[in-house]
Parts: sequence; structure tokens; C-alpha cells
Amino acid sequence: MNIKKQFTEGLITNNPVLVQLIGMCATMAITTTLFNGVGMGLSVLIILTCCNVVVSAIRKIIPNEIRLAIFVVIIAGFVTIVDLLLQAYIPALSDALGVFIPLIVVNCIIIGRAEAFCQKNTVGASFFDGIFQGLGYTLVLIVMCVFRELLGSGRFGGGLIDIVNGFRFTLDGTGSGIQIFPEDFGASILTLPFGGFITLGLLIAIMQYALKKSAKKKEAAAKAEKEAEEVC
Amino acid sequence: MNKILKLTLILFLVCAITAGVLGVVNEITYQRIEEQQRIKTERAYAAVLASDGYEEVPFDQEAFPTVDLINRCTNGAGYVVTTTFSGAQGSITMAVGVDNDYKCTGISIIKHSETSGLGANAASSSEKGVNWRAQFVGEDENVAITKMGGKIDALAGATITSRSVANATGVAIRAVESLG
Repeated sequence: MNIKKQFTEGLITNNPVLVQLIGMCATMAITTTLFNGVGMGLSVLIILTCCNVVVSAIRKIIPNEIRLAIFVVIIAGFVTIVDLLLQAYIPALSDALGVFIPLIVVNCIIIGRAEAFCQKNTVGASFFDGIFQGLGYTLVLIVMCVFRELLGSGRFGGGLIDIVNGFRFTLDGTGSGIQIFPEDFGASILTLPFGGFITLGLLIAIMQYALKKSAKKKEAAAKAEKEAEEVC
Repeated sequence: MNKILKLTLILFLVCAITAGVLGVVNEITYQRIEEQQRIKTERAYAAVLASDGYEEVPFDQEAFPTVDLINRCTNGAGYVVTTTFSGAQGSITMAVGVDNDYKCTGISIIKHSETSGLGANAASSSEKGVNWRAQFVGEDENVAITKMGGKIDALAGATITSRSVANATGVAIRAVESLG
């Protein structure tokens, strides 16, 4: 398996949320501001990569019967480590993401990748799989955050960007974002869980349409080639 | 039989190693986390009612189960109450300042797990959160949200959080009144 193929798989053709349809619960719950999306995406990326490496490293000594129990222990361990480190060294980020970090334990992307990929692949491939699947997840979160925040409350970059005292990035989640249009004109329903369902549904539909179209194009190209061969 | 023993042993080993690693991480981070929590509590106290020092006073814990502790300000400005109660998603820990006329001097949320973007605004340091909490200044023991006949505007999409914060503020003030 080469890295380039893994990259396109993680971000597009086998995107964890839009194609594998896993990890949707947290995706809908947290994508209300850009800060949440980026924070959660990066936390998942780090934990996913660590778990992938460890799982693939010990894949040969794990008995098949108890593999799921072992995966859960490893995942919970890494989540707790990240949680404790954030609390101790980046308390502001920990406050903002406090609720979401423990949620990563039950995020099926991580156990899904351990089961579907790391069990059968080398440590190196699993490491890149963790990074690319994590990036794919982060990308979807960012798209959803931008969409919901902009149409829901007329803002961009809430928590992450502050323009009150000049443009700057706020890593403690206090920035108010850039107000594109007054909040009163926003469809605030989009920032509620209901809006999460709608946005995710739309994204999945667009993704499936694009994937089908590109698959058809490939098919047509293959057919044309074949016909050309026959003519010759 | 042998197989079961082997599986149990492997699972036990994995758990033991994980627990060991977590123990080490906890040992490293424990003091810093405590320190961060202490700084946060101190900041919350100073934000609701400034004083050069605070001393704990005894109160009727059975009558006020949600009140954790009551601190008297050594400069005589009043009291700061720490209270833990249920919010919409989990428990909320909050500091409430009460002056000698039993009026609220401010509230500050120390710990919570409310929904980000909705209930979490009650605790946030954004303009919205600061303005919302400012409504509590000067309120008495009957503080309530507008829906319950009071004067506090509930946060949009977070009526339950707003209601429980208002109720807990009222309870805190009553707890101070009970001191006499």
C-alpha cells in the first residue's frame, strides 16, 4: 500500500465520515464553532495515530478472541493520557474541549481503523493511515463548522479567530470570530443538533454524487479505450 | 482450559501495562492539574467578590445539600459560596458572591460540561457570557429567569442551564442568610 493512495483514501474516496459513515455522532454534536471542530479533529488525529501504531505493533501477539477488549483498553488509555496532559499543560484547550475528549473513547473511527486496517498492516502503513484518516475527519469537521456557523450565526472562525483587538488567533477559545452578517439574520436552527443532521446529510449526498460521477467517468473512459482497441 | 488461561493472562498483561503507564502520567500531571484548579477557583472568587483572604465558615449542610462551602471574606465585604448542582448535561460548580445585604455580587462558573455554543455560553469569557452573568449582580434570593417570573433573560437554546444557574444562585444566597 503506498502513501499517495492512502492519502486520497483517507481524505476522499474512503473518508471516515462521508464514505465509511462512522463517527457521525460526535461530528454532529460538536461542529458549532470552528474552534471545536479543529480541536476535536486534531485530538482524534493524535489519538488515532498513537492507537494505530500500537495496535499494529502488537497485532501478531493479540489473540483473535479478545482483540476488541484489548483495542478498547489501548484506546481508553491513550484518551486518558491526552486528557490528563491537556488538563495539566493547556488548561484553556482542555476547558473548551473538556466534554469531547472522553467521547473519543467511543468514537468508532478509532476502533474501526484498528479492526479494519491495523490488524492486517505494518506499523508504517498504520501510522500514515492514522494521520490521513484523522485529516479526513478533521476536514469534514471544518467544512461542517464553517457551514453551520456561517449560516447559523453569521460568523466565521468562532473561538479561533479574534478581530476585536486586531486580527489574531486565539488558542483558548475566547475569540468572537468574524461577523459576516448580523446574528439575527442567521438560521439559528443550524447550530442546534437538528442542523447537524441536515448538514451532514447534505455533505454525504454531495460526496456520493461526486464519487458516483467520477466512477462513471472512469468506466466510460475504460469502455472507450476498449472500443478503440477493438476498432484497431 | 489452557486457552482460557492464556487469554486471561494476555488481557491482564495489557490492562496492567496500560494502568502502569496511566499511573506514571498521572504522577507527572497530578500536581499541575491541582495547581490549575486552584488558580481557577481563586480567580473565580476574586471575580465575584474581591477580598484579601477567605475563611471557611460552618453551615447547615443538610438544609443546603448543593452548597459545598461558604467562605467569609476577611475584609468584611460578604461571603463567597461554592455550589455544585445539576445543569443540563452534568454537574456545574459555581462560585457565588453574596454581600452583607444578601444581594448577589456576581457569579462565576468554575467547572461544567454544558453543550458547547449553547449552555457553555453561561461559563464562557466571551462578551455574551460576561453580559449574561452580569444580570445576576444585585439580585436577591428570589432570582429567577423571565420564564419563571424573574428578571434573568435565559440564554438562547439553554433554558435548562439558565434555570439551574438561577436556582443555585438563589439557594446560595439563602444559605448565607441562614448563617444569620
